Amino acid sequence: MILFVVPAFIIVVAVQFYPLAYSAFLSVTDWVLTESQTPKGFVGLENFAKELSDETFRRSVRNSVYITGGALALQMTLGICLAYLTMGSSWRMRAIRTLLILPMVIAPVAAGTLWRILLNSRAGLVNHVLSVIGIKGPEWLAHPDWAIVSVILLDTWQWTPFVLLVVGAAIASIPDDLLEVAAIDGASRWQTFLYVELPLLMPLLLLTLVFRMLESLLSLDSIYSLTFGGPGYSTYTLTYYIYTLGLRSFNFGAAAASSWIFMVFASLSIGLVFWYQRRDW
Amino acid sequence: MQLGEGLAKQAMKRQRSVKQRALALAHGFILCIACLVVLIPLAYLVINSVKLPREFLTVPPTILPSAVTFEHYRDLFEDSKTLRHFRNSFTVTLWTTGITIICGTLAAYGLARMRLAAKILAGVTFVFLFIRFYPRVTTVIPYFLVMRELDLLDTVWAIIIGQLGITIPFVTWLMLVVFQDLPREIEEAAVVDGASVPQRFWRVVLPIVMPSVSAAAILTAFLSWNEFLIASSVARRKASVLSIAVAGFVSDKGIQWGPMAAMSVVMILPMIVFALFAQRYLIRGITFGAVKG
Repeated sequence: MILFVVPAFIIVVAVQFYPLAYSAFLSVTDWVLTESQTPKGFVGLENFAKELSDETFRRSVRNSVYITGGALALQMTLGICLAYLTMGSSWRMRAIRTLLILPMVIAPVAAGTLWRILLNSRAGLVNHVLSVIGIKGPEWLAHPDWAIVSVILLDTWQWTPFVLLVVGAAIASIPDDLLEVAAIDGASRWQTFLYVELPLLMPLLLLTLVFRMLESLLSLDSIYSLTFGGPGYSTYTLTYYIYTLGLRSFNFGAAAASSWIFMVFASLSIGLVFWYQRRDW
Repeated sequence: MQLGEGLAKQAMKRQRSVKQRALALAHGFILCIACLVVLIPLAYLVINSVKLPREFLTVPPTILPSAVTFEHYRDLFEDSKTLRHFRNSFTVTLWTTGITIICGTLAAYGLARMRLAAKILAGVTFVFLFIRFYPRVTTVIPYFLVMRELDLLDTVWAIIIGQLGITIPFVTWLMLVVFQDLPREIEEAAVVDGASVPQRFWRVVLPIVMPSVSAAAILTAFLSWNEFLIASSVARRKASVLSIAVAGFVSDKGIQWGPMAAMSVVMILPMIVFALFAQRYLIRGITFGAVKG
């Protein structure tokens, strides 16, 4: 039996765990590829200290919090609403659901490109639609704050379907008699939701939230093709920052250090997911 | 008196039905808007890919082009560079999917039948979960350095091997759940007949779990085709794939709107087809881990 596992094991160790250890080594090393071909030596926690006080690093963390926070709030709300509105197994609802999940299967780079076309401030479709109803659209991708909003919109457009799917499946699994009992007891639809369904759904909603939070924090592709981090550093997220630091400036030590700061947070969240999945509800 | 009561009841009923009809109308309206928000951007992308060059960047935007042109697609397929992107994307997706399915399914079967203690199995699951969600950007830089050391930079194999590190654990996890749910009795008959372990796996188990294997294959192809982070960090020129090319339109000076739209359409299309015809398989993979089973 053990032979069955060997090939997969070797690949995972070689491609995941070895680089992970290597990156831990890099994080305490001074190495900028453009200055030297080999590591310059052990520097202890200096990289970490430098990163934590670095202005761009801090800004990237802030941006990540804004973007992920905004996107999560929007997609959880919209996703839960849409899950309720598309309940049922009639062919019409199934067709609508099939349609609504399409954004999720699109390559994030392509989705970014697509929204870049739509959000063009002068000739984009979004500002055209806004002008038809009498609103002057903002400079979406050229203004620092609106660029953040643009990234939030893109993430929401692409991933609300995920929430819709997961929550939809959970709602469908709530036993009908529970809702009937509530109705017989004279509970209104809203009360039923608030006091019967919501408590039942809560663990799953939290799980979905952490899932989406991690994926949103980790995503690079859509920002890369939507804003390229810009204007300036205004849509640099943590992932984007580490990526450019490591693979554009080739500052391996600093990039590894900031990615391990990121790792601590991510690991805690993953631990939370694990704990939630293990317990039965 | 009774008549009055009856009338009041009727009025109430009518009122409720008016309210219900209004609600149903609002319901339909919201769903309509939601569908439009999904469809219009996609439709606009397709329209852009067949627009005449002079109809880009017009104010107001050209929504219905005066003529349909396929020149952007023709340009794409006549350009040797883009053709190479296609070829590379296909190569990477095929190899990644093939190797992942073989290694992942085998490993999952092995794990499921090894009678591991619950604690160890929980540990293995944690590793899967961790690999799925840790900041991958952490390992991208060392991976780049390893590939540089092995002289594999800018080859499709650098991309394939890197993607295998993600897809194999994911598929193993997915299939592990499937094999765990498979009753052992099914195999016991084969054991009595004296079948060896590989025979049991190949003749008895595999045919039963084939639907799940296809689901895993579709998911792997989906992940590999859309993948950007690993590809863009180890392959920028010769081995560049579609996702890099699509992202590359932005940083190039002067965006070529037509080819950019056309290439995005070509990249998106296979996945839309998957989503429409193999929806259940794809969704099961994407939401795996969030939804049990």
